[in-house]
Amino acid sequence: MFDLPVGQGPVHITLLMGPKLARPVPAEVTEALLSAQITATAGERSGFQLAFDLTKNGIISRRLLPEGFFDPKTRLIVTVSVRGTAAVLFDGLVVRQEVGASNRPGHSTLTVTGEDLTLLMDLEERTARYPNLPPSERALAILRRYSDYGIRPDVYTEKVAQPPHQDLRVHYQTGTDLQYVTELARANGYTFYLEPGPNPGQSSARWGPEVRLGIRQHALNVNMDAQSTVDQLTFAYDGTAREEPQARWQDPGTRQSTLLPQPPISPLRPPLGRRPTPALKRKTLSGTAKQQREQAEAELLARAAVSADVVSGSGSLDVNRHGYILQPRQLVGVRGAGRAYDGDYYVKSVTHNLRPGSYQQNFTLSREGLEARSDYVRP
Amino acid sequence: MADIEPYESALDAIPGAHPYPRTSRYHDAEIGVHRRPDGTEVRYTKRRLLPPLDDAGHQEAQPHVVGAGERPDLLAQRYFGDPGQWWQIADANPVLDPRELTDEAGRIIGIPTAGGFPQGDRRV
Repeated sequence: MFDLPVGQGPVHITLLMGPKLARPVPAEVTEALLSAQITATAGERSGFQLAFDLTKNGIISRRLLPEGFFDPKTRLIVTVSVRGTAAVLFDGLVVRQEVGASNRPGHSTLTVTGEDLTLLMDLEERTARYPNLPPSERALAILRRYSDYGIRPDVYTEKVAQPPHQDLRVHYQTGTDLQYVTELARANGYTFYLEPGPNPGQSSARWGPEVRLGIRQHALNVNMDAQSTVDQLTFAYDGTAREEPQARWQDPGTRQSTLLPQPPISPLRPPLGRRPTPALKRKTLSGTAKQQREQAEAELLARAAVSADVVSGSGSLDVNRHGYILQPRQLVGVRGAGRAYDGDYYVKSVTHNLRPGSYQQNFTLSREGLEARSDYVRP
Repeated sequence: MADIEPYESALDAIPGAHPYPRTSRYHDAEIGVHRRPDGTEVRYTKRRLLPPLDDAGHQEAQPHVVGAGERPDLLAQRYFGDPGQWWQIADANPVLDPRELTDEAGRIIGIPTAGGFPQGDRRV
């Protein structure tokens, strides 16, 4: 009665392309798709690479390629539906195309490479002054300029409040918008990234702390016979990765310099492991003496929090077997890796590899210590 | 227009914190808060509205001729790979009882295209 084996639901990929307003591509383009590779990372730019079959008299080489259908700055949206549930994987712009013409029939390919919509913010350098604006309002003011691509700002106030003093200092932006927003995020221990979705053509620009709370994604099972969903999983524990930053701050009134106290990092990074790793290295931050006190405190907190992740894991996953897409920048549980490495992790990056008949994901995980805090993970 | 949200809500409004998973038909449903006379708050799922029918033309449906012995969950397994997704078929063919879909052999029902997005403006 059924032509499909039970549990192997179809994975459907949909491409939308166009200038600024993306529309579904012609059926010939979807049929010519050979493979798609999409990378999404927390705090860095995401990218994609699509390979198309370039037959000599096909619609791509005859019409679409000369007419500029794959030109740079064409918007491209990839959505994937697994088991009837659709998700937007990528929303970005074409940057580069390569045509490999081959003597053997059927081996000519068109490869299109691109980056996500933060590329728009990285195109032109700008000098602007932001008098009397705290960092989050500066980020919001910049992100609001990009709403015509469906980017919704998702900005949070900074953890250490930094009231601006126009008479003491006016903040200047040099460089591109993306550089400035990322730099602001880094100085506060935040990340900045674009999350595509929930519907095609929309994305939210998150400028805030990493999402390290809430409901975990479906657990990754390893070494569990028929229940395993992950092909392999390797963990690394780097003891020297964590450092204890030290910052001195000089009071402009009395010329007294004081060592700032070590802040607790748990508000920015709720602990995921039971046994946090002690910091082996001590590092002195430069330039904090001249800053305002709140700014120096924020930078101290940011540096302490960012270096806290010492345990990292990487592996690959078959989506057909797992049944769900592993989303980056969220939490996920791991089981079957032994007492030391089981438990919840933050998904740092995910690379989707799609080709007809297979959907593989490579991922990296991170957290700050060994042993799970809880006795169970969400299955 | 979006505004700056306080730091505390960054860890409250977590993606995926909705009580219903993404595969559920109640994922779009709004969560209401009912306040009892004694002041306690009870959270409840608000009524889920079906996608508007006159607008259904934007999502082309694939016709399927119902055979004997078919059930909505079997159809969902066949077309989507997940028997729990039968509600997508029921949404596309307005019926009051999902069993009406496959009661009558020979009836032609529409299967929504896999890869389509639901009407609701759901947050991830």
